[in-house]
Amino acid sequence: MRYKDYYSPNSLKEAEQLLKELDGPVTLLAGGTDIMVYAREDDRYQDHHIINIYGLPELQGIELKDDCIRIGAGVTHSEIEQSPIIQKYATVLADGCRTVGSLQIRNHATLAGNICNASPAADSLAPLAVLDAKVEVLRDGEMVLMPLYDVIVKPYRTSLSDRDLVTAVIVRRLPEDEITCFYKLGRRKALAISRMTITYVAHKADDGTVDDFNITAGAIFPRPMTFPDINEKLLGKKPDETILEDVARALGNKIPEITGIRKSTAYKQPVCSNLAARILKEKLLEV
Amino acid sequence: MKKEITFRLNRKDYTIEVDPGARMIDVLRDQLNLRGTKEGCGVGECGACTVVIDGKAVTSCLVSAAQMDGRDIMTVEGLSETEIGSILQKCFIQYGAVQCGYCTPGMLMSAYALLLHNDNPTREEIRDAIAGNLCRCTGYVQILDSIEKARDEYLAKA
Ligand code: FES
Ligand code: FES
Repeated sequence: MRYKDYYSPNSLKEAEQLLKELDGPVTLLAGGTDIMVYAREDDRYQDHHIINIYGLPELQGIELKDDCIRIGAGVTHSEIEQSPIIQKYATVLADGCRTVGSLQIRNHATLAGNICNASPAADSLAPLAVLDAKVEVLRDGEMVLMPLYDVIVKPYRTSLSDRDLVTAVIVRRLPEDEITCFYKLGRRKALAISRMTITYVAHKADDGTVDDFNITAGAIFPRPMTFPDINEKLLGKKPDETILEDVARALGNKIPEITGIRKSTAYKQPVCSNLAARILKEKLLEV
Repeated sequence: MKKEITFRLNRKDYTIEVDPGARMIDVLRDQLNLRGTKEGCGVGECGACTVVIDGKAVTSCLVSAAQMDGRDIMTVEGLSETEIGSILQKCFIQYGAVQCGYCTPGMLMSAYALLLHNDNPTREEIRDAIAGNLCRCTGYVQILDSIEKARDEYLAKA
């Protein structure tokens, strides 16, 4: 990798100081599993100061709070997948992280790094979207919280500047009896670049009506998004076949609506609707 | 640019100067002359370059040299001195898991990392552990079988 210079600060404070003092473009390196690949393609980092923030103690750990979970920016996909907190209160995220890359990549790559790389095919993004994820960013010495939707603006583009340091990702803490689903359509089990994923979270009240619902598809839309108009269709109702099929159709319809009609639409739209219908019925119709 | 890093590798301590932005695989192969670790794709897809860092399998083509600092690393060269590793090596040979051998070091390291944390993995768990390792020769069956045999042997010893 060609670069201008390379720093490995020992604390967040030191990293912050470097960001303030250095002149010229900066690249923050977490796991580096994307950056190391880009660096092979060309010399795009040759004028960059590389700041290796992997392993900074302040960026570690997964914390359970009253209504949310705070995931440090240095936490790897494997740690998320194995975390009892995530498994219990944000299962979809564990499921999404489990299908990213290979075990060797998940052991090294961080969730926050995945957000900053903003690949639309990142399997963690759809689960983050349905969990209303927010990104905690250290900007000019202050912590700011940004909705994930405002961070990832289009494929491989974020609204972050090279002086912004992501310190954590914050997701909703779901009730333990939340029904969640992450479904991936891909070619090979490990390392398959996602063709499409469908993710939802739903909760049924005692009387069987749905009082929480959020659904989205991954690897389809240019940025992680959710759809209040679709969620409305199910909220407050008892799920039956007609409603669930309507929800599934509405999700499929978002594809041409948001990405425009493309050659692949003829494939993706019905596949999305059919898969969504199947996985919604599977978990929401029983009992 | 050079930077001094300190790490443990195959149970020995090292302090060396590296280009911090170099790839770990190049430090291992070119600087330390440990050529057991192989490069296939260089982009994290084949697993040939798998090493174990702090007990976890990682593709060394994606790790930056600076990130070796302070870590405990195991490569295929150190395997024979570990109990799990030497059983694995013996079983790979005995049960036909090696043909051209290019994927073998990576396969061994993935299997080693698995058995390190789970001394009784199911075939499915073994499959998952090596899902990031490609083999163009064997069709995987012999590799899975060999790891199962190694597991049984290791369990019987423990
Ligand atoms: S060479 Fe590292 S994964 Fe292929
Ligand atoms: S033995 Fe040849 S690639 Fe696996």
